[in-house]
Amino acid sequence: MLQKKVCMLGSFSVGKSSLVRRFVESMFDEQYHTTIGVKVDKKVVNASGEDLTLILWDVYGEDAFQKMRMSYLRGMHGYILVADGTRRQTLDDALALNDRVVAEIGIVPAVLAMNKFDLADQWEIEPARETQLTAAGWTVAHTSAKTGDAVEKAFLHLAQAMLAK
Amino acid sequence: MAEQAQRRAFEAQAQEKPTDNNHAFEELRHLIVAPEQAGIAAIQDRLENLEKRTEDVSVVVAEAIQMRREKGDDLALADALAPTIQETLRESVRRDPHVLADALFPVMGPAIRKSITETLRGMLESFNEALEHSLSWRGIQWRIEAFRTGRPFAEIVLMHSLLYRVEQVFLIHRETGLVLNHVVAHSAPAQDADMVAGLLSAIQQFARDSFQSGKTENLGNMTFDELQIRVVSGPNAVIAAAIRGHAPETYNLAMEETLEEVQRLYSSALVTFKGDPGPFRAAESQIARLLETQYREKPADKKRPRAAIIAGAIAAVVLLGWFGYSTYLLIEWSRFLSELRKQPGIVVVSYSKDGRTFHVQGFRDPLSEDPRKLISHAGLDANHADLQLAPYYSLDDAIVARRATALLHPPAGVTLAVKGGELIPEGSAPQNWIAQLEEKAPWIAGVSKVDESHLQNSNLQQLNALKNTLESNVLLFPLGRAELDAGQEAYLSQAEKNIRDLVAQAAPLHQIVTVELVGHTDLTGVEAANLPLSRERADHIRAALLSNGVKSASVLPRGVGTSQPLHDENTEEGRRLNRSVTFKITLSPFPAAGAVTSADAGASGATPAN
Repeated sequence: MLQKKVCMLGSFSVGKSSLVRRFVESMFDEQYHTTIGVKVDKKVVNASGEDLTLILWDVYGEDAFQKMRMSYLRGMHGYILVADGTRRQTLDDALALNDRVVAEIGIVPAVLAMNKFDLADQWEIEPARETQLTAAGWTVAHTSAKTGDAVEKAFLHLAQAMLAK
Repeated sequence: MAEQAQRRAFEAQAQEKPTDNNHAFEELRHLIVAPEQAGIAAIQDRLENLEKRTEDVSVVVAEAIQMRREKGDDLALADALAPTIQETLRESVRRDPHVLADALFPVMGPAIRKSITETLRGMLESFNEALEHSLSWRGIQWRIEAFRTGRPFAEIVLMHSLLYRVEQVFLIHRETGLVLNHVVAHSAPAQDADMVAGLLSAIQQFARDSFQSGKTENLGNMTFDELQIRVVSGPNAVIAAAIRGHAPETYNLAMEETLEEVQRLYSSALVTFKGDPGPFRAAESQIARLLETQYREKPADKKRPRAAIIAGAIAAVVLLGWFGYSTYLLIEWSRFLSELRKQPGIVVVSYSKDGRTFHVQGFRDPLSEDPRKLISHAGLDANHADLQLAPYYSLDDAIVARRATALLHPPAGVTLAVKGGELIPEGSAPQNWIAQLEEKAPWIAGVSKVDESHLQNSNLQQLNALKNTLESNVLLFPLGRAELDAGQEAYLSQAEKNIRDLVAQAAPLHQIVTVELVGHTDLTGVEAANLPLSRERADHIRAALLSNGVKSASVLPRGVGTSQPLHDENTEEGRRLNRSVTFKITLSPFPAAGAVTSADAGASGATPAN
């Protein structure tokens, strides 16, 4: 079976671990757990009629004090860039991080997950901004780890993109 | 040079056919195909000329090899080049070894250093193990094992320390951290290989980043209590082994060799890996070999303790039995020894045990108990006893009594006892034995004096018995007369015989017998007549005795009249008994002549009193 290394990238507390937990175990925990280092998980998905093992590297979130180590990303086949839709800054940070990743690793398939869509009323991302991103080639998904909305879809989309490559 | 050759060819052709037609044709041909001809000639020249050909190849040789390698078929290239390169190296070394040595110097130094470090680390590990275990309970067990098997302790430690089990082996793609292949030992718990491999790679990268080590350096070992994870890294692949126990350092060598083999066999697949582990399925045969190493040690390990336990149990039983039997013997021997010490006439000075033989030194009186009999009484084997008992005279009372008995031969009814050196004979013995006793006893070793108070003289007793018989004899007389009653002669002759016996038996006892004949009367008549009558009666008997040869000196007649009646006279029978003569015997020691005289004097003195 094909295996693909997928990294979860994004700022501190945007919901990377929650997305992985929702995707792998179909569970959500209201409590916040900070990730130290890397947590590795796996999930088998069926994309375009082919089974595929996703090895999910849930890398700790970046913040002002701790930059992410690019070495964890070596050899990855794709990534999910996660931003918190209720905090605009996390999207800016995610895109800045993306630039560094592209510079270091090169271009690999990626999906932009705008997380915490269950809090749509507190949404800070303007639709125009999203249109702009889509135009730039991003696949944008409105995910909610809490409700499970679009989580599977985001991962599946990434899986298809990685297979197509 | 090529142009010269071309010109020569044309000149030759021109000279061959000098006709006009020919010339025209040649000219036409020259006009039409001259450039091509020149080109063909040039190519021909190029092919024939070795120098030129070499020049051409030299231009493209590097690019050609490069192209071949890019096609990913470098194994064939390596195969083709290997013999030449080997030969070249050999030739180079033969000509001048310094050239190659200088070239390899920067490589060889670190390689040798690394090899030495690894070897020393392995040695130190074993040494540490030995030190660590030398004082523990396991260490003591190992020492016992070393003693039992006769092998050096270090070898035993090494044997036990090297027990390990390789539970899992991972072949990991270095860049992505994805699992290429994974093998698990039988019955070993298996984790999700994909996640474990991912984490291992993450840890590797974390360690490299955190401690800012160089890109080529790798995390070699991770240890969690009993479990150890060893990692060897190649340019594109990583082999990680999960080992329970202590694998030797040489195991790393096996891992490195396997990794090199995998790198070589799958070099292109590793470079082009896009997440499909399919091409690496065959690598299982290589990495499974790393699992096998541990199986060899296991059965031996299991068998040995069972054999050891059986042997140990047998040894323990034998040892226990032997110990029990020895203890039993020792107890029996000490019991025998204390018994021996209690024996009169035996003195134990020292004793010792030598193997199975028991030695006893001391003294023994010949009259004491036979010690061999005591040994068999104690249930011991007399053949294992060495009794060195020198003979001696014991002054023990019991032994002195035995010695006296042996020397004096006491008659039946006489026992000899000794108390504090005093010989105490008890019972009745004849006079001659008593005399012998008195004579010999003081000479017996251990007898200090003799106490005869419990010894009766049997001869004297017989004498007294005779005396009593005689004194109970009563000779009866008719009323008023001094001749014996009818039928009394038999009593008289009995008395006479008794007196004779008495005298005969008294002589050896040094006794003198004095017989008093006492005449009695009854109350009939007056006393003035009775007294002389009683005397007459005594005289009558004396005369009868004397006439039968009884010595006069020892027979003294006396009349007492009615003064000493034998019976009251209320009856006729009583009165009859009082008309009689009775005997009174006195025994007095011999040989004093004066005593006889005094006895006579006493007897005669008694007469006037009647």
